Amino acid sequence: MNELLVMLTIDDRRVALPAVEVKSVIELEEIYPVPRAPNFVVGLTAMRSQSLTVIDSRLAIGVADENKVCDRAAVVEVEGHQYALLVDSVEDIAETKSELAPVAGGFGAGWQHVAKGMVETDQGPALMLDIEKLIEGPAAQAA
Amino acid sequence: MDDLLAEFVAETREMLEAIEGELVAWEADPSDSARLDSIFRFVHTVKGNCGFFDFPRLEKLSHAAESVLAEVRAGRRQPNSRLVTTVLVVIDRIAEMANAIEAGEELPDDSDDLLISALEGRQEDFDELAALQAADSSSKSADQTVTSRRSIRLPVELLDRVMSGVSDMVLARNDLSRRLRDAGNEPTLDGPFERLSGILADVREAITRMRMQRIELLYNALPRLVRDLSAELGKQVMVDFEGGTVELDREMIEMIRDPITHLIRNAIDHGIETPSERLAQGKREIGMLSIASRQSGNQITMVITDDGAGLDEAKIAAKALASGLVTKSQLDAMSAEEVINLIFEPGLSTADEVSAISGRGVGMDVVRSNIEQIGGRISVTSEPGKGAQFFLELPLTLSIISALTVGIDGQYFAIPNSYVEEIAHGASASVEFSEVGDRDLVTFRGQRIPCLTLNNVLNLSGRRAGPDQRLILLRLGGGDIFALAVDRIHDQEDLVIKPLSPAVMATQLYAGTTLLDDGRPVLMLDIPAIAAGHGLVSDIRTRSASVSRDPAETAVDAGRTLMTFVDLDGRRRAIGMDLVSRIDQVEPAAFDIEGARAQVVVDGKIVELAGKPRGELPDSKVKLLRLSDSEAELAYPVAELGETIDYSGSMAPAESDSTVEGVALIDGMPVPVVDGYQLFAAHGHSAAPEVQLLCKLPAGDEWVNRMLTPLVKAVGYRITEDEGADADVVILTSDTPENLTQEQDNVIKILNDPAAAGKASGIYRYDRSAIVEALNAARKRSAS
Repeated sequence: MNELLVMLTIDDRRVALPAVEVKSVIELEEIYPVPRAPNFVVGLTAMRSQSLTVIDSRLAIGVADENKVCDRAAVVEVEGHQYALLVDSVEDIAETKSELAPVAGGFGAGWQHVAKGMVETDQGPALMLDIEKLIEGPAAQAA
Repeated sequence: MDDLLAEFVAETREMLEAIEGELVAWEADPSDSARLDSIFRFVHTVKGNCGFFDFPRLEKLSHAAESVLAEVRAGRRQPNSRLVTTVLVVIDRIAEMANAIEAGEELPDDSDDLLISALEGRQEDFDELAALQAADSSSKSADQTVTSRRSIRLPVELLDRVMSGVSDMVLARNDLSRRLRDAGNEPTLDGPFERLSGILADVREAITRMRMQRIELLYNALPRLVRDLSAELGKQVMVDFEGGTVELDREMIEMIRDPITHLIRNAIDHGIETPSERLAQGKREIGMLSIASRQSGNQITMVITDDGAGLDEAKIAAKALASGLVTKSQLDAMSAEEVINLIFEPGLSTADEVSAISGRGVGMDVVRSNIEQIGGRISVTSEPGKGAQFFLELPLTLSIISALTVGIDGQYFAIPNSYVEEIAHGASASVEFSEVGDRDLVTFRGQRIPCLTLNNVLNLSGRRAGPDQRLILLRLGGGDIFALAVDRIHDQEDLVIKPLSPAVMATQLYAGTTLLDDGRPVLMLDIPAIAAGHGLVSDIRTRSASVSRDPAETAVDAGRTLMTFVDLDGRRRAIGMDLVSRIDQVEPAAFDIEGARAQVVVDGKIVELAGKPRGELPDSKVKLLRLSDSEAELAYPVAELGETIDYSGSMAPAESDSTVEGVALIDGMPVPVVDGYQLFAAHGHSAAPEVQLLCKLPAGDEWVNRMLTPLVKAVGYRITEDEGADADVVILTSDTPENLTQEQDNVIKILNDPAAAGKASGIYRYDRSAIVEALNAARKRSAS
């Protein structure tokens, strides 16, 4: 059966998240920093009187060194905590056209850790993100 | 029935229900050690609980069962069907006894001795018992009466769901309130919204109360336990409680009652020495046991400290080796602290003899398993000869806690109020900064206290503590004190704390997050973790180094502490800090101002305002200074709180304004100091007088009953209508003055006709102030 996906771009690469996991896509207004948190935790923000932990996807994957100003975020929930995943842009909704599949040689440093696999969509191939892995950040990769 | 007893019965019954299945499973397979352990824990807990009620039979029975089960656990006895049956009979008997206790009946008069000796394995007793059981079982089911209860027991998950729903509703309300404010004045929406807010506040309070109980409930039972135990053991123990107002989940209190009881038993039995031993070691002959509770974010910390012998590390190590708990090489690799924490492992006891009080060392593993079951942690530190300290950390998944919000670098953080001991201005004369190495120290009230700056803790534009900051003195569960310097103190409010995501928790700096009324997320600082991270937690309570105060300095320091604030009219004023008993926040609706009367409802009681407010009350929450002259209480609404300062300069007199004591010069600006004396003289009604005078009123007069009696009572008199009574004041009423001929000092004449009252020595009956004045004058006369 075809599954709906939210297509995102992170560091100019196309990635996908299952639409059922994305609670909403928001434009972040104000982010309140969390001192001494790992750098991929940008801070906290409020959405509908809930507080969200804002994660910079590029930093969490480890494909960038510093925070780039972007304000689009996908809101997901993991183990009762809500996260806003900062991405370059949110493209569209797409349908899966294949099962998840690995790619020979992997997806490259950083990406391999957060990838569930590759999926074919009606907009071309995309990397399926593993949200749990993403919010652990790059530090957890070594472990 | 007494609350504690009811809880004991309910708890026993709940445990019985819980182990029902285990019993059957154990009967099917007597070698199943996991089942055995839980049955063993049940009888052990029952025995423990009996310790503080007086149920000798129940205690004897459970002790006997415990002993037998302990033998089985240790492998000294094989569980056979006979033993299993007997244990089951004992457990049935415990259930019967619990029922009898609840019904307030005498305990069923069966032969417990028979049971006990059957437990000990005597065949003939067992046979007799079996015969008795058979005869009994037919009649038993009939007389199990179901007693109706006035309360219901609800699953805690359900309450949790309701509570978290209500918390979210509060946050949504705050959000809505913000949007309404942004949208400007909408009279059609404001009314219903206010109503909604009011209802929500009520519901929230009710739900909170439903789940929360003060830890005092637990404390209350302890002095008796301590008293009985120490008497039994020939020891002298004083117990000291702190933090009784900390509120805990009702269920949590039930869950920790047992472990706490065990810890106290152990402390008294094994920790605290006998008076003669203590004297020989140069200690006070009375042992000290202290229990302190504190709340921080999602956790409650309890610290149980005794000043007894401490834990014997060598003995624990030897026992652990002997029982095969650890190997020699493992033991060698362990730190002293790890070794003493072995006492929480199952099957380790250092007690040489088995005593009825703390048993055979099963206590500690039961304690740990109970604490861990509710997601808590326990650890112990000890210093030989000085005492032991047990730390319990208990979770509080969802809670509303009162916190101080502080700011540094434009960011806000919250600090749980339970840690806050005192707040001081860095520039205050009583605060002195010093630096030792890289450590900042402050000297405050003769104590040198380590000082952290929040900037450094959080790595935000690092700096040293200085006089431009505010100092918050924080006291940890163990009694350690440190100061935290922040740029500014924002406010004090009740916050709904939500857990943080793991990535943020990993910093070990924050305990939770919350949204302020303005929608801004705020992090709650994890004070114990911060203190521990900076090495500010001592193992055993050590007092901060005391600095002897120079007497000359005290003499010079004759200034007073003033608190500045911005009044509702926008003016900056000050008031003597010693008058301010606390600071509160209330909704504007809590104020009731009408004519000359101005009152406010705070903490569920009506408090007189210190005169009519000087300006308009704000629309949002109003900050309230609560003033006290040690008897009467007044409230003073202010627009903004200022700071506390030690003022030793002179004060310019302000003769033209009687409400002002003088004008102080603060930071080069004149600040009028409100005259507290005048405030209380003008507005303070002291509490009801101790001696109530008797006032005789005319009998059978409807007007007197309806109008006069309440008035006279309000002034502080008792009322009598008895003609012959020897009253302090007599009130007579009449239509005309001629009817009232009695001429005595203590007679007050009340006339129905205002014109007549003017001429004669009577008071018109609706001249309230004259009547009150006359009654007060009579009081003064009788007092002199």
